[in-house]
Amino acid sequence: MRRKGLSLEGRLLAASVALAMLVAAVFVALILAITTLHETTNQEAESKDVTVSALELERLVLDIQNSMQSYVIAGRKSLLAPYASARKALPEKVRQFQREASAEDRAQGQRARVLGEAINAYANYLDALLTFTGEERLAAARDAMKVEAKIEVDDIRSQFVRFHAAEDARAAMRADSASTSAQRAIAFGIAGLAASAVLIILFGLYLARSIARPVRDAAAGAARFAGGDLSTRLKPGGPGEVGELTSSFNEMAERLAQARSELEAQNAQLRESERLKTELVNIVSHELRTPLASVLGFTSVLLTRDFDSETRRHYLGIIDAQARRLSGLIDDFLDVRRIEEGRFELDHELLDMAALLREEALLYSGQSREHQVELDLPDEPLPVRGDPDRLRQVIGNLLSNAIKYSPGGGTVELAAARNGDSVHISVRDEGIGIPETSQSRIFTKFFRGEMATSGISGTGLGLAVSRDIVESHGGRMGFMSAEGEGTTFWVELPKGNGQEGRLPANEPEDS
Amino acid sequence: MEKQRTILICDDEPTLRELVRVSLDGSYRFAEASDGFTALQLARELSPDVVVLDLMLPRLSGLEVLAKLRGDERLRSTPVLVITAWNDTMDVALEAGADQFVTKPFQPDELKDAVERLLSD
Repeated sequence: MRRKGLSLEGRLLAASVALAMLVAAVFVALILAITTLHETTNQEAESKDVTVSALELERLVLDIQNSMQSYVIAGRKSLLAPYASARKALPEKVRQFQREASAEDRAQGQRARVLGEAINAYANYLDALLTFTGEERLAAARDAMKVEAKIEVDDIRSQFVRFHAAEDARAAMRADSASTSAQRAIAFGIAGLAASAVLIILFGLYLARSIARPVRDAAAGAARFAGGDLSTRLKPGGPGEVGELTSSFNEMAERLAQARSELEAQNAQLRESERLKTELVNIVSHELRTPLASVLGFTSVLLTRDFDSETRRHYLGIIDAQARRLSGLIDDFLDVRRIEEGRFELDHELLDMAALLREEALLYSGQSREHQVELDLPDEPLPVRGDPDRLRQVIGNLLSNAIKYSPGGGTVELAAARNGDSVHISVRDEGIGIPETSQSRIFTKFFRGEMATSGISGTGLGLAVSRDIVESHGGRMGFMSAEGEGTTFWVELPKGNGQEGRLPANEPEDS
Repeated sequence: MEKQRTILICDDEPTLRELVRVSLDGSYRFAEASDGFTALQLARELSPDVVVLDLMLPRLSGLEVLAKLRGDERLRSTPVLVITAWNDTMDVALEAGADQFVTKPFQPDELKDAVERLLSD
């Protein structure tokens, strides 16, 4: 889909790893949140310790203050007992308080240090007052307690008040942040679990959509295909190997369908060629039967009866001519096969077309009493390079067609002339002409147009073979025809170049 | 001596017409036509005793000639012998009113017997 390169296995692995990492991240976040909560709780405990120390210290300061107060008022040494014990514990308590406060926070540490120094200074001041003994000294100490000591102890107390306030504020802040992070941890945990659940569902859907469904579709497609529906194609795409599967399937389907259509085309071609063969057999049987009837008939007559030698010779002549006609027909069929198989070999000798045309005209003028074959040739030779037998076959075919398709008789004109670099030959008749509907197919093998039903026999091969021969000589062949008025076939062959002296001896006139 | 019989030979091939003539080998009067149109004309003109008719004829096919003969009051009963190259076309020829038929290639005697049978009927 998006990344074609990644295999299905890779994708699944990547998705699993991503999912696992996400779940792990959720748990790490939860653990972090719990740790933060735990730390906050610890800090709260520490804060309680500091507060306890501060209160204890405050009590000690009050103890020495009260004890001193009582002493200076009553003047009894026994009243100093609390002072002595509190004074003894004081320095250690101050240090503990300072240590705990500075462990907690710099500002509180600073406050504790100042406070501690003030307490120590106050205690030292009270110690100094104790050295005053005697009544007047006690009075002075009383005054001092009322004024200087009072100022100092008030200052210490207000410092304690500030310290506690700061501590309370810190505790409140900590409690607040603890509850925030607890809430955050819970929210994070819920969101993480929900996200994991959604992702797992999405992963399942992905598996179903991109693997299970395409595989199921492929299986269904393959089943349809196996059932014979070769037009079946799978929806292309799909991740990794699934995409490969669908594209391979489609490729295979394409190939099979193509192979089948090729086979069908071949089959149709085979049927067509079978039909042509059947037609050929019919035509051959008909075309061969007529001369065969003459050959067999006259042979039988000669064998069973006695004739004078002239009649015998005449009949033998007919047999000879008809046998030759049979042979010619067979040659035509063989030519068609040679042309179709592309092994049509031609001689390339220099020959005089004029002489060849004269011979053919002479040959065909004797074939029909109703037709006059007229020649219109220049006096000079018409050199052409080619196969004399094949060219004779072409001219013979055109002349016999001209006679055959003018059943009412008439003139058949055979003309030839040089035309630039080529020799132009035409055969004109005054026959029935070629209907316009048949003109485009006149050179098609076995095509006989309306002739097939008109009673004029023929194989439908002559013109096809003739045009192949002419084109093999590098020439062209065509016709002009009007129904009922006659037809003119023309052949244009390239002029043969070479030494004129090599032309075969040219008979000046028909001899 | 009986009256000389007239036989009309219709075929576009001169050699085949000659073969028919030679095969019949009798003292017949022969008329020849090389196309269907002439064949019909001669038949009407001569009222031949037998018509030997090739089915493959230019201008007017043998079957058309046969149909026209059978449609003609005077020539309706003239015996017609059909020469055909295809065995397949025999049924069609007989249906169209041919009395006898031979298939190419035929034996001269075969043709002779067929014509004599037609004449003796």
